[in-house]
Amino acid sequence: MKLTIDDKISILADGAKYDVSCSSSGSESNYKTGELGNTHNSGICHTFTSDGRCVSLLKVLLSNVCIYDCAYCINRVSNDIRRTAFTPRELADITLNFYKRNYIEGLFLSSGIIKNEDHTMLLLLQTLRILRHEHKFNGYIHVKLIPGSAKELIAEACLLANRVSSNIELPSSKSLALLAPDKTKAKLLEPLKHAREITMERNAKPISMSTQMIIGATGESDFDILKLSSALYDKALLKRVYYSAYIAVNNHKNLPVRELSTPPLKREHRLYQADWLLRFYGFKYDEIVTPQNQNLDIQFDPKTFWALSNLHLFPVDINKVSQEILMRIPGIGMRGAMKILQARKFKTLNFEDLVKLKISIKKAKYFIIADKNYQKQIPLYEDRLKIALMHNDKSIIQPNLFDFSIYTGEL
Amino acid sequence: MNLFYDGSFEGFLSLIYEVYHQKMNVTTILKKNPHKFIFDEVLHVETDLSKAHKVFSSLKKRFSKNDINTIVRVFLCDSITFEMCLLEFIILGFKKNENLQNINYPSVFYIKGLEKEHMRLTHKMLGFVRFEELEDKTFYAKIETKFNVLMFLGEHFSKRLGNNPFIIHDIKRHLAYVKHEDMKEIRDVASFDEPLYSQDEAKFKSLWKNFFHSVAITNRTNIKLQKNLVPLVYRTYMSEFHD
Ligand code: SF4
Repeated sequence: MKLTIDDKISILADGAKYDVSCSSSGSESNYKTGELGNTHNSGICHTFTSDGRCVSLLKVLLSNVCIYDCAYCINRVSNDIRRTAFTPRELADITLNFYKRNYIEGLFLSSGIIKNEDHTMLLLLQTLRILRHEHKFNGYIHVKLIPGSAKELIAEACLLANRVSSNIELPSSKSLALLAPDKTKAKLLEPLKHAREITMERNAKPISMSTQMIIGATGESDFDILKLSSALYDKALLKRVYYSAYIAVNNHKNLPVRELSTPPLKREHRLYQADWLLRFYGFKYDEIVTPQNQNLDIQFDPKTFWALSNLHLFPVDINKVSQEILMRIPGIGMRGAMKILQARKFKTLNFEDLVKLKISIKKAKYFIIADKNYQKQIPLYEDRLKIALMHNDKSIIQPNLFDFSIYTGEL
Repeated sequence: MNLFYDGSFEGFLSLIYEVYHQKMNVTTILKKNPHKFIFDEVLHVETDLSKAHKVFSSLKKRFSKNDINTIVRVFLCDSITFEMCLLEFIILGFKKNENLQNINYPSVFYIKGLEKEHMRLTHKMLGFVRFEELEDKTFYAKIETKFNVLMFLGEHFSKRLGNNPFIIHDIKRHLAYVKHEDMKEIRDVASFDEPLYSQDEAKFKSLWKNFFHSVAITNRTNIKLQKNLVPLVYRTYMSEFHD
């Protein structure tokens, strides 16, 4: 049976949807008069799907045909699913038309491995060439680097795309060996290292790169995961690490039983919060998780949990402490800290002032001194505070709790 | 003293002029002539372009560019009565420019908050606007927004859509941002007929809907979260939410 173009987009979007490393923010504007498209610095969400995720890019596979058999993947060769492919021209045409209607910021292109790595990478590049050269399209393009493809192809991808990525998939080599025997950590990281080198040679700034790890398919602790992320950030190899709660699509002897597994969404959410603390709040991974306490707390967010284990540092005087310390107060985000810094230049702030500034003190009140005042009902003991905090925190899973993530398209 | 003006920016600047020069003590500012005179004394401030101009140039002299942008943005929050706070904000700024950084003043806090709300709406709309291709290859979008964000949308898409002509039609305000070749302007739209769409339009809408439904992960369904992120008021012209 011949598939229609509508069937194709359904199949190839379905095959790409588990890849979450998809945002369009952080590119400088690149507008040229008369040409189609530009990128926007803060990323734009064009709609939100029924699972509450931001749609920013046309996220599709060029093809869901694959010669490999990674255990966790819906597109693995041993699965009996409908297979299809876009031609590069077809896909370029859809991208342009979606873009002009303002459905998307650009394209996020990945693919199963058709025939071999180089052949696949070439087809991806072909699509990018049509967009960039023939149509002078300047919108956002994120392309997957196919691990194992030739260096020249990776070099060209770096020229044509705004962001490239290669997924680490699983947080340790051991897990990879179990579930994706054709992949090794070195092989997966290689295209990223290579991409960094060539773009650094061309101009001092490396191309923006990201990766994704699947959480909960294998036994690594949050300590292992955050240690790895932190190493990748420290080496400045990556701009973002994405965490994807494992969603069982296959059965496999080395995987959690499909029928019994639910995606660990709360854990994924906590990892994102912890990642946020690493990237923007000046935390080190081993402040958040330790060899003794390997996993993030489910009840409390990582910052609150950190504060509860470090009560000797509190309470802090919001009129005196530095921005770094303000940002370490549970419940005070980046914006709250900025408001405090701005307002305290003019007067000594008390609790009432904080409320007027619309800074939530539900959590923070236990940890601060404001104008010589502090809350006196609950003594500063871990167990007493935990009970108090639990009572006023009826948190539901909301993967977008962060200050401004909702508006930037950053997950 | 209760004042009313015609709701235009020039009108508001004229009002500032009068307040300043006549040292008025203002209690209320209304956008239109109230039908019933509920107040003892209501003064109509006429819009006077030369007075407005004077006020604007002294604003430019005494206020930073950012503060002027704030004033303009807040003024575009036209479905809200911001006038008293904005007047206070401007008076504070004239007294001492530094006051405008002091968010302990309720009016400064309110005005900055309203400015942010306007920016957030603008940013949301950058994503939620939907163009449809007309028979003559113009891209046409209808919008209905709480605040007036038309100019910002127009500028954004002028950069983005290259040589493609487009129209963004603000249905409730009867305004349209029109871009055609080198011409871009905001026009009044008294009345309009439903345009004719291009042949491809239905095809791409259908592809878009298929895409939209296929990328959702059913194991993670969270309709409440989706509603928080795209409240129903935004969905009128977003085809993926209609069958
Ligand atoms: S190589 Fe990629 S597409 Fe192919 S089975 Fe493995 S994860 Fe899936």
